[in-house]
Amino acid sequence: MASQLLPLELIDKCVGSRIWVIMKGDKEFSGTLLGFDDFVNMVLEDVTEYDYTGTHTKLSKILLNGNNICMLIPGGMPEGGA
Amino acid sequence: MADAEDVTANPVNEPLDLVRLSLNEIVFVKLRGDRELQGRLHAYDSHCNLVLGEVEETIYVIDEDDEEETVRVRKQNYDGVSKARRIS
Amino acid sequence: MSAPQANGAGEARDPSGFLGEIINSPVTVKLNSGVVYKGELQSVDGYMNIALDQTREIVDGKPRRNYGDAFIRGNNVMYISADH
Repeated sequence: MASQLLPLELIDKCVGSRIWVIMKGDKEFSGTLLGFDDFVNMVLEDVTEYDYTGTHTKLSKILLNGNNICMLIPGGMPEGGA
Repeated sequence: MADAEDVTANPVNEPLDLVRLSLNEIVFVKLRGDRELQGRLHAYDSHCNLVLGEVEETIYVIDEDDEEETVRVRKQNYDGVSKARRIS
Repeated sequence: MSAPQANGAGEARDPSGFLGEIINSPVTVKLNSGVVYKGELQSVDGYMNIALDQTREIVDGKPRRNYGDAFIRGNNVMYISADH
Protein backbone atom coordinates (compact mmCIF):
# COMPACT_ATOMS: atom_id res chain seq x y z
CA MET A 1 0.00 0.00 0.00
CA ALA A 2 1.16 3.45 -0.81
CA SER A 3 2.23 5.27 2.32
CA GLN A 4 -0.11 8.14 2.99
CA LEU A 5 1.26 11.62 3.51
CA LEU A 6 -0.52 13.45 6.28
CA PRO A 7 -1.31 17.14 5.68
CA LEU A 8 1.10 18.36 8.34
CA GLU A 9 3.82 16.09 6.97
CA LEU A 10 3.46 17.88 3.68
CA ILE A 11 3.98 21.19 5.46
CA ASP A 12 6.94 19.73 7.33
CA LYS A 13 8.54 18.99 3.97
CA CYS A 14 8.22 22.69 3.15
CA VAL A 15 10.38 23.84 6.05
CA GLY A 16 13.24 25.81 4.54
CA SER A 17 11.42 26.53 1.28
CA ARG A 18 9.11 29.19 -0.02
CA ILE A 19 5.46 28.81 0.81
CA TRP A 20 2.31 30.69 -0.14
CA VAL A 21 -0.25 31.23 2.58
CA ILE A 22 -3.84 32.13 1.76
CA MET A 23 -5.79 33.47 4.69
CA LYS A 24 -9.50 33.48 5.35
CA GLY A 25 -10.71 36.72 3.89
CA ASP A 26 -8.61 38.42 1.27
CA LYS A 27 -5.09 38.41 2.59
CA GLU A 28 -2.12 36.36 1.44
CA PHE A 29 1.47 35.89 2.53
CA SER A 30 4.47 34.52 0.71
CA GLY A 31 7.72 33.68 2.46
CA THR A 32 10.28 31.10 3.50
CA LEU A 33 8.88 28.69 6.08
CA LEU A 34 11.20 28.39 9.06
CA GLY A 35 8.90 26.39 11.29
CA PHE A 36 5.41 25.82 12.62
CA ASP A 37 3.60 24.29 15.58
CA ASP A 38 0.56 22.07 16.12
CA PHE A 39 -1.81 25.02 15.61
CA VAL A 40 -0.07 25.76 12.30
CA ASN A 41 1.17 29.06 13.65
CA MET A 42 4.10 29.62 11.32
CA VAL A 43 7.42 31.42 11.39
CA LEU A 44 8.11 32.97 7.99
CA GLU A 45 11.14 34.84 6.68
CA ASP A 46 11.51 37.34 3.83
CA VAL A 47 7.77 37.74 3.76
CA THR A 48 5.55 39.68 1.43
CA GLU A 49 2.07 40.49 2.72
CA TYR A 50 -0.55 40.95 0.01
CA ASP A 51 -3.51 43.14 0.77
CA TYR A 52 -6.87 43.11 -0.97
CA THR A 53 -5.94 46.51 -2.41
CA GLY A 54 -2.93 44.96 -4.11
CA THR A 55 -0.56 46.65 -1.69
CA HIS A 56 2.37 44.49 -0.75
CA THR A 57 4.35 44.91 2.41
CA LYS A 58 7.78 43.38 3.02
CA LEU A 59 8.45 41.87 6.43
CA SER A 60 11.72 40.29 7.44
CA LYS A 61 10.53 37.68 9.93
CA ILE A 62 7.09 37.06 11.36
CA LEU A 63 5.09 34.71 13.53
CA LEU A 64 1.81 34.25 11.68
CA ASN A 65 -1.21 33.24 13.75
CA GLY A 66 -2.57 29.95 12.41
CA ASN A 67 -6.12 30.82 13.32
CA ASN A 68 -6.98 32.56 10.06
CA ILE A 69 -4.95 30.44 7.68
CA CYS A 70 -7.06 28.86 4.97
CA MET A 71 -4.65 27.20 2.54
CA LEU A 72 -0.93 26.56 2.16
CA ILE A 73 0.75 26.15 -1.19
CA PRO A 74 4.34 24.91 -1.33
CA GLY A 75 6.65 26.81 -3.65
CA GLY A 76 5.57 30.36 -2.90
CA MET A 77 3.54 32.69 -5.04
CA PRO A 78 3.52 32.19 -8.82
CA GLU A 79 5.20 34.80 -11.02
CA GLY A 80 3.41 38.11 -11.19
CA GLY A 81 1.06 37.14 -8.41
CA ALA A 82 -1.29 39.67 -6.82
CA MET B 1 13.07 21.45 16.98
CA ALA B 2 12.94 23.40 20.16
CA ASP B 3 11.55 21.73 23.22
CA ALA B 4 9.33 22.76 26.06
CA GLU B 5 12.32 23.98 28.05
CA ASP B 6 12.18 27.05 25.88
CA VAL B 7 10.00 28.57 28.58
CA THR B 8 13.22 29.37 30.39
CA ALA B 9 14.22 31.56 27.48
CA ASN B 10 11.17 33.74 28.08
CA PRO B 11 11.00 36.11 31.00
CA VAL B 12 9.11 34.90 34.04
CA ASN B 13 6.17 37.15 33.36
CA GLU B 14 3.39 36.46 30.95
CA PRO B 15 1.06 38.96 29.27
CA LEU B 16 -1.69 38.53 31.87
CA ASP B 17 0.75 39.71 34.54
CA LEU B 18 0.32 43.12 32.99
CA VAL B 19 -3.40 42.85 33.68
CA ARG B 20 -2.71 41.68 37.22
CA LEU B 21 -0.50 44.70 37.80
CA SER B 22 -3.39 46.90 36.68
CA LEU B 23 -5.77 45.66 39.38
CA ASN B 24 -7.42 48.56 41.21
CA GLU B 25 -6.09 50.95 38.61
CA ILE B 26 -7.99 52.88 35.96
CA VAL B 27 -7.64 50.96 32.72
CA PHE B 28 -8.45 51.72 29.11
CA VAL B 29 -10.04 48.88 27.16
CA LYS B 30 -10.48 48.85 23.41
CA LEU B 31 -13.38 46.68 22.29
CA ARG B 32 -14.45 45.47 18.90
CA GLY B 33 -17.03 47.60 17.14
CA ASP B 34 -15.44 50.98 17.83
CA ARG B 35 -16.12 50.97 21.53
CA GLU B 36 -13.84 51.88 24.37
CA LEU B 37 -14.15 51.58 28.11
CA GLN B 38 -12.38 53.40 30.82
CA GLY B 39 -12.81 52.24 34.38
CA ARG B 40 -11.30 50.77 37.49
CA LEU B 41 -10.21 47.14 37.14
CA HIS B 42 -11.59 45.11 40.02
CA ALA B 43 -11.11 41.57 38.71
CA TYR B 44 -10.26 39.53 35.63
CA ASP B 45 -9.86 35.91 34.58
CA SER B 46 -7.78 33.96 32.11
CA HIS B 47 -10.35 34.63 29.35
CA CYS B 48 -9.89 38.33 29.97
CA ASN B 49 -13.38 38.74 31.34
CA LEU B 50 -13.11 41.96 33.30
CA VAL B 51 -14.96 43.41 36.25
CA LEU B 52 -14.83 47.19 36.02
CA GLY B 53 -16.18 49.96 38.20
CA GLU B 54 -16.72 53.68 37.59
CA VAL B 55 -16.99 52.91 33.91
CA GLU B 56 -17.25 55.34 31.07
CA GLU B 57 -18.08 53.79 27.71
CA THR B 58 -17.20 55.60 24.49
CA ILE B 59 -18.95 54.61 21.28
CA TYR B 60 -17.81 55.96 17.92
CA VAL B 61 -20.64 56.15 15.41
CA ILE B 62 -20.29 57.34 11.84
CA ASP B 63 -22.95 59.88 10.91
CA GLU B 64 -23.77 59.85 7.24
CA ASP B 65 -26.63 62.34 7.27
CA ASP B 66 -24.56 65.04 5.59
CA GLU B 67 -22.21 64.62 2.65
CA GLU B 68 -19.12 64.39 4.78
CA GLU B 69 -18.88 61.58 7.26
CA THR B 70 -18.56 62.77 10.80
CA VAL B 71 -17.70 60.69 13.78
CA ARG B 72 -20.09 61.09 16.64
CA VAL B 73 -18.84 60.19 20.06
CA ARG B 74 -21.29 59.01 22.65
CA LYS B 75 -20.16 58.70 26.21
CA GLN B 76 -22.11 56.69 28.69
CA ASN B 77 -21.41 56.40 32.36
CA TYR B 78 -22.36 53.64 34.68
CA ASP B 79 -24.55 55.98 36.70
CA GLY B 80 -26.69 56.65 33.65
CA VAL B 81 -25.32 60.10 32.84
CA SER B 82 -24.79 60.20 29.11
CA LYS B 83 -23.22 62.87 26.97
CA ALA B 84 -22.90 63.23 23.24
CA ARG B 85 -20.20 65.10 21.41
CA ARG B 86 -19.23 65.53 17.80
CA ILE B 87 -15.71 65.43 16.48
CA SER B 88 -14.14 66.19 13.08
CA MET C 1 17.94 38.17 27.33
CA SER C 2 19.87 38.18 24.09
CA ALA C 3 19.66 36.07 20.97
CA PRO C 4 21.79 33.03 21.78
CA GLN C 5 19.81 30.63 23.87
CA ALA C 6 20.64 27.89 26.29
CA ASN C 7 19.36 25.18 23.99
CA GLY C 8 21.72 25.44 21.08
CA ALA C 9 22.82 27.88 18.45
CA GLY C 10 20.53 29.70 16.05
CA GLU C 11 17.45 27.66 16.79
CA ALA C 12 14.74 30.17 16.02
CA ARG C 13 12.97 28.00 13.53
CA ASP C 14 9.71 27.24 15.28
CA PRO C 15 7.27 29.63 16.97
CA SER C 16 8.64 29.38 20.51
CA GLY C 17 12.21 29.70 19.31
CA PHE C 18 11.32 32.78 17.32
CA LEU C 19 9.56 34.36 20.29
CA GLY C 20 12.56 33.69 22.50
CA GLU C 21 14.65 35.48 19.93
CA ILE C 22 12.52 38.63 19.70
CA ILE C 23 11.50 39.03 23.33
CA ASN C 24 12.49 42.47 24.70
CA SER C 25 13.05 43.81 21.21
CA PRO C 26 10.93 46.11 19.02
CA VAL C 27 8.12 44.37 17.16
CA THR C 28 5.12 45.14 15.01
CA VAL C 29 1.86 43.41 15.86
CA LYS C 30 -0.88 43.42 13.27
CA LEU C 31 -4.44 42.64 14.29
CA ASN C 32 -7.09 41.06 12.13
CA SER C 33 -8.83 44.45 12.03
CA GLY C 34 -5.77 45.88 10.29
CA VAL C 35 -4.77 48.03 13.25
CA VAL C 36 -1.03 47.91 13.93
CA TYR C 37 0.76 48.18 17.27
CA LYS C 38 4.46 48.84 17.50
CA GLY C 39 6.38 48.48 20.73
CA GLU C 40 8.82 46.49 22.76
CA LEU C 41 7.74 42.88 23.24
CA GLN C 42 7.50 42.15 26.96
CA SER C 43 5.95 38.72 26.76
CA VAL C 44 3.74 36.33 24.82
CA ASP C 45 1.78 33.30 26.01
CA GLY C 46 0.32 30.21 24.35
CA TYR C 47 -2.84 32.07 23.32
CA MET C 48 -0.70 34.69 21.60
CA ASN C 49 -1.75 37.21 24.21
CA ILE C 50 0.90 39.90 24.02
CA ALA C 51 2.29 42.47 26.44
CA LEU C 52 3.92 45.47 24.77
CA ASP C 53 5.88 48.35 26.24
CA GLN C 54 6.03 51.89 24.77
CA THR C 55 3.21 51.04 22.42
CA ARG C 56 2.27 53.08 19.39
CA GLU C 57 -1.09 52.50 17.75
CA ILE C 58 -1.27 52.90 13.98
CA VAL C 59 -4.61 53.01 12.15
CA ASP C 60 -4.68 53.17 8.34
CA GLY C 61 -0.95 53.85 8.39
CA LYS C 62 -1.35 56.91 10.60
CA PRO C 63 -0.25 57.16 14.24
CA ARG C 64 -3.24 57.28 16.56
CA ARG C 65 -2.33 56.99 20.22
CA ASN C 66 0.49 55.91 22.47
CA TYR C 67 0.26 53.68 25.50
CA GLY C 68 2.90 52.96 28.12
CA ASP C 69 1.96 49.32 28.46
CA ALA C 70 -0.53 47.42 26.42
CA PHE C 71 -2.04 43.96 26.71
CA ILE C 72 -3.31 42.57 23.42
CA ARG C 73 -5.69 39.64 23.57
CA GLY C 74 -4.34 36.87 21.35
CA ASN C 75 -7.48 36.16 19.36
CA ASN C 76 -7.08 39.51 17.60
CA VAL C 77 -3.49 38.93 16.51
CA MET C 78 -2.75 38.22 12.87
CA TYR C 79 1.03 38.33 13.13
CA ILE C 80 3.99 39.44 15.19
CA SER C 81 6.83 40.79 13.11
CA ALA C 82 10.38 41.44 14.23
CA ASP C 83 11.47 45.04 13.55
CA HIS C 84 15.01 45.57 12.41
